[in-house]
Amino acid sequence: MSEYPDMPRSFQLSRSLKLLSNGFLSIWCLIALFPLLWITLMSLKYPLDAFSANPLVVIFGPGTKAAGASVNFFDLLMVILWISVAFLGIKHWQVKKNLGPKNLLYLGISIGWLFAVFVFAELSTSVQRLFGVDFFFTTPLVGMTTEHFQSVWIEQEFYKQFFNSLLVTAGVVSISLTVGTLAGYGLARSGSGWAFWILMIALVFRALPHSVLVSGYLPWFINSAEWLSPFFGEVAPTLYGQPWAIIVVLASINQPFTIWMLRSFFQNIPRELDEAARIDGCSHGEAFVRVIIPVMWPGVLTAGLFSFLLAYNDYLVAALLLDAQNQTMVPAISGYFNRETTSTDQVEAVAAAVSITAPIFVLVMVFQKQLVSGLTQGAVKG
Amino acid sequence: MKNRTFIGFVGPSLFLMALFIAGPLFSVVWQSLHVTQPVYIQVETEVCTPGFLSQKCTKETQTQPKLDENGKIITETKFSGFESYRALLKPELIFKHISERNWLGLTNIDFYKALRFTLTFTLITLPIVLVLGLMIALCINQALQSLRGPIIFVSLLPFVITPVIGALSIRWLFVGDGILSILLEWLLKREIALFAQGWTIEILMMSYRVWHVAPFAFIVFYAGLQTVNRDSLESAIVDGATRWQRLQLVILPHLSPLILFVSIIHLMDSYRVFEEVIGFRSEAHVISLQWLTYDLLTPDDTGNRLISRASASSMLTMIGIIFLLFFPLSRSWREHKLRRSG
Amino acid sequence: MKKFLIIASALTALFTSSAVSFAACNFTPSSKLTLLANSYAAWKAVSDAMGECGNFEAELDAEFRKKQPDAFAANPSLYQLGGISNSTIQPLLSAGTIRALDDLVAKYGQDLQPNQLIRINGQIMAIAMSVNNQHLMYREDVLNSLGITVPQTYYELLSAVDKIAASGQVDYAFGGTYKAGWNLAEEFVNMYLGMGGQFFKGTQPNVNNVMGIRTLEMMRNLTHYMDPEYLVADSTYVQQQFQQGKIAMANLWATRAAAMDDQKESQVVGKVKMAAAPYPVTGALPASTLWWDGVVLAKNMTDQQADEAFQLLMEGIDKEMVSENNDLAVWLINGYEPGPMAKGAAETAENGAVPYPNGMEMGLMHTALGNNIADFLTGKETADQTLKDIEAEYKTAAKEKGLL
Repeated sequence: MSEYPDMPRSFQLSRSLKLLSNGFLSIWCLIALFPLLWITLMSLKYPLDAFSANPLVVIFGPGTKAAGASVNFFDLLMVILWISVAFLGIKHWQVKKNLGPKNLLYLGISIGWLFAVFVFAELSTSVQRLFGVDFFFTTPLVGMTTEHFQSVWIEQEFYKQFFNSLLVTAGVVSISLTVGTLAGYGLARSGSGWAFWILMIALVFRALPHSVLVSGYLPWFINSAEWLSPFFGEVAPTLYGQPWAIIVVLASINQPFTIWMLRSFFQNIPRELDEAARIDGCSHGEAFVRVIIPVMWPGVLTAGLFSFLLAYNDYLVAALLLDAQNQTMVPAISGYFNRETTSTDQVEAVAAAVSITAPIFVLVMVFQKQLVSGLTQGAVKG
Repeated sequence: MKNRTFIGFVGPSLFLMALFIAGPLFSVVWQSLHVTQPVYIQVETEVCTPGFLSQKCTKETQTQPKLDENGKIITETKFSGFESYRALLKPELIFKHISERNWLGLTNIDFYKALRFTLTFTLITLPIVLVLGLMIALCINQALQSLRGPIIFVSLLPFVITPVIGALSIRWLFVGDGILSILLEWLLKREIALFAQGWTIEILMMSYRVWHVAPFAFIVFYAGLQTVNRDSLESAIVDGATRWQRLQLVILPHLSPLILFVSIIHLMDSYRVFEEVIGFRSEAHVISLQWLTYDLLTPDDTGNRLISRASASSMLTMIGIIFLLFFPLSRSWREHKLRRSG
Repeated sequence: MKKFLIIASALTALFTSSAVSFAACNFTPSSKLTLLANSYAAWKAVSDAMGECGNFEAELDAEFRKKQPDAFAANPSLYQLGGISNSTIQPLLSAGTIRALDDLVAKYGQDLQPNQLIRINGQIMAIAMSVNNQHLMYREDVLNSLGITVPQTYYELLSAVDKIAASGQVDYAFGGTYKAGWNLAEEFVNMYLGMGGQFFKGTQPNVNNVMGIRTLEMMRNLTHYMDPEYLVADSTYVQQQFQQGKIAMANLWATRAAAMDDQKESQVVGKVKMAAAPYPVTGALPASTLWWDGVVLAKNMTDQQADEAFQLLMEGIDKEMVSENNDLAVWLINGYEPGPMAKGAAETAENGAVPYPNGMEMGLMHTALGNNIADFLTGKETADQTLKDIEAEYKTAAKEKGLL
C-alpha cells in the first residue's frame, strides 16, 4: 500500500512467476465477477435469449434485437457518460471525504439518469426517429431491453420493497451502532473477568444457527397483542409485520459481531486519551462523550457498513416475521421465484436480483477502504 | 472501570442479546426435554369434495384436537427426558448397523447423513479457502499498485453479495442446460447432469462457499502481509532461502494468528451451512444439520411441526459448535488469565 | 435542472403505477382487508379481481402454510381471508379459527354453485373456486409420428415412453414432478391410492406391502425415461421442459395446462394434448388424487369485517374474473366453459380418482414419504427397507405429536 512506495526486494518475482501470478489473478477476477455479470446480461434479454444454451446468443441477444429492443451507439454513449459521471463523483468523494456542492451535482445527475433509464426506450426511439436506422449512430447493435426492470420497479411496485429495505437497514444500523458502541467501549476498557466471559458468550451466540432463534419468535410476535395487553392495555401492538420489531431483532442478532468489532477498534485508541480526561475530573460517561466520540467515527462507520450488509442481506428473519406490505427486497424476491410459472417471470426475478445487488455494488465502490479495514480490524488484534 | 459504569455501558447490548438470543435459546433447551401434545378426540366427520358436477361426500372418523371454551386447543406438556434426542440419534440402529458393518445404512439415518455432510463440507472447504485466500493475497501483493484497488473491488463482490442471490446466480449457471454445464459438457465431451447425483451437488455447494468466503480470507491475509517484518525477509534472502522457504519460515509464522482467526470464523459459519441446501435444492441427496432443524420446524400441510425434535436437533448442532470452538476458546482463556496475572 | 429531472421522473413513476381503476366493483371495504394465499396464476387472477374494489391487499406466498395457522389463531386475526386447499384447511378447521359461512352465503351467495359450498358436518366452512388434479399431458405430434395411441395404463405408458426414447425425437421421453419432498410424496400417493392401497390400518401406518413395493418400482421405472436431474423437478420445471419441447409426456397439474399454449413461452403451441391420468393396472383407479382450492374467512374479526370480506370474495370469484381467466384453472364458478385444456382433469375425475386423504395423520405420512423415497430411487436402499423407514419415521413423528 501507500506506505511502501518501493516494492520490497523479497516480494519481487521473476518474469515467469510474475506471468503466472498475473494469470492467476485474472482468472480469479473472472470467477469472482462472472456470475454477477452473467445475471446482469440475462436480465436485459427476452426469455428466449436469456435462457439460450449458446453463450453468444445470451451476450448479443439476436431474439431480443429481432423483437425490436436493442441498443445503438447513442445509447452506449449515454451509458458510458453516466458511468463516468458516477465514477467521478465517487472518486471525488473518496478524496474530499465530504459532500460538497460538486458531489451533490454528481449525485443528482447520476440519480436523475437512473430514473431516465425508465423512459429510456422513449428517448432512444425518438432519436432513432430523428435520424433513421441507417445512420451509424442509431443502427441497432446488441439486443437489449429494460422491460423487465420497468415491469419489476413500476408495474410490480418494487420501489415499495426498496423503501422498506431502506427503513429496516437504517433502523438496524442506528440501533446496533448506538448500543454496540457503548458496549464495545465498555468491554475494551474493562479488564474484569466479566468482560471476557461476555465476549466468549457473544462468540458462541455468533455461531448459533439463525433458524433456531427465528422460529422461536413467530408465535410470540403473532400473539403479541394478547400477551402485551397487561402492559399496554387496549393499544397493545401486534409485533408481527411491524418493521420496528424486525429492526430490534436484527440489531440484537447482530450484537455479538458488532461488539467484537467495536471492542477491537476501541482497544486501538490509546487508553491515555480518556485517562487524561478522567484526571481532569470527568466521569467515564463524560470522558466517552468528550474524548472518545470525536475520534471514533472511522470505526463506527466500518461497523455500520457490516450492520448494513447484515440487515440488507437478511432473508430468514424478514421472510418469516414481515407481511407482504412491509416486506424488504430480499425476501420479496422469493415471491418471484415461487411464482415463476412463466419464463418471463423468471427473467423478472433475475432483474429483481440484479436490482438488489446494484446498491451493494455502489456501496463497495464507495466504502472499499472502510470495508477492508473492518475486515482486518478484528483480525490483527486476534 | 467500576462495575456500575461497566454495566451502564454494556447493559443495553446485554439486554438485547438476553431477550432475543439467550431467551429463545433457553426455550430451545427446555423444549428439547419436553413434549407438548394436544388432547385429541375422535370425531365422526362428513367431508365433501367438489367434483365436476356434484360433490362427493364421505363420512370418516378424524382425529382432532380438543378445544376449550375459548376456542383454544387444549394441550398438555410433559417431561420426556432424552426421548427426542433418542428419536434423532437412533442409538439402537447405530449398534445394529455397526455390528452388520452396514456403513451405507448408517449414513442413511437423517442425523448422521446431515452430520457427515456438515463435517465434510466444513473440513474440505477450510483448507481450500485458506490456500486460495493466501494465493490471491500473495499475488495481489506483487501486482501493479494502480491495479490493486480494482482487483480488491472485484474480489470483494462475492463476499458482500446477498447470499441467497449468490447461490441462485450460481445455480442458474449450472442447472439443466445452464451455460456452465454446457461448457463442462463441451470440455469433457459427454453428457453431464450436475444435479442428478449427490457428489456433484456437494462439489457445487463447496465451490459456491469457497467463492463466497475466499475474499474474506484474502483481505485478512493481505493486510497481514503489509506488516511482515522486511528485515527478516531480507536476511532470509541473504541466507540463501528459496522463495518457498521464505514463505514457510517467515511469512506463514507471521500470518499464523490470522490463519487461526480466519479458520475460527470459517468453522463457525460453514458449520451452520444452510443457504446452499435451499439454493441448490439438494435435500434429496445431501442435507446439513441446520437444514434438518429447519425441516423439522416447517409445518406440513396439516399444520404439524415437530418442535421437540427440532429443539433436540438444534441443541446437538450447538454442542457441535462448542466442541469445534473448544480449542481456540480455551487458548484465549489461558491468554486472558496470563494477561491478568502479568 | 437536476431537481426538476428527479421530480419529473418520480412523478412519471407514480402516475403509471397509480393508474388502477376501481371501476369493476361497486363497493369498497370500509377497513383494510387482507388475504393470505398460495402463489400461482389462479390466485393471482382472483386476488387481482378483489383488488379492483380497493382497500385490499393480497399476500401470495408459496410458503403460506408456515404462517397461516398461527396468523389465523391471533386475535384479531392477521388476515381476514385465507386461500386454502383441501389439505391446508385442516389445521384451521381443527384449531377452530375459521368462520362458518352459512349466513353470509344466504345473504350474498346467490351466484354460487352448490358444488362450491364446502360443508363440514353440515356447516359451510369454505367456498371452493377450482379443482385440480394431476393428469396426462402428451405431445400429439410425437405420438402420431410413432403410431402410439394415448396410453390408458402405466403398462402402456411404459412401452410408449420406451418407443419415444428409442426414436430420439425428444431429449427425455417422460417428465415427472419428482422434486424430493412434497412433490415426490404426492407422486407416491397418486400411484399407491390408484393401486387401491390404504395408508393406515387402524392407527398404524400401512405402506410396507406389495402395493407399496409395486408403487416404488413403477416410480423407479419411470425415472429411467426422465431427465436425470428429476429430484429437483417441480411443476414449473416440468412445465418448462414441455414448453421447450424437451419431453413428450408428463403427469402434470391441470393448472399448468394453459401454459402449454402460451404463445410467448411455449415452442410447442397446439401440440400438447390432455388426457386422463393412466391407471396403474387395468381395473384400478386412476393414479391421481382430486384437490380443490378455495377461500375461508377468519373467525377472529368483527361481523362487519366478515360481511365485507365475503362481499369482496364474491367480487373476486365472479363471472367476470372467470371469463377473463377461463383457462387458468378448472373453475367451479358459474360461467366457466371447460375448454380442451380441462379435458384431462375432467376425465381423471370421471374415471374415479379419489380425493386426497384428509387428516393430520396423512400430513405426517406425506412428510415421511417425501423424506425417504429418494433413497430408493437413487439406489441407496431397497424398496423393502425404504418402506420400513417410512413407517418408522411416521411412528416417531406420530408419537411425538401424541397420535399413537
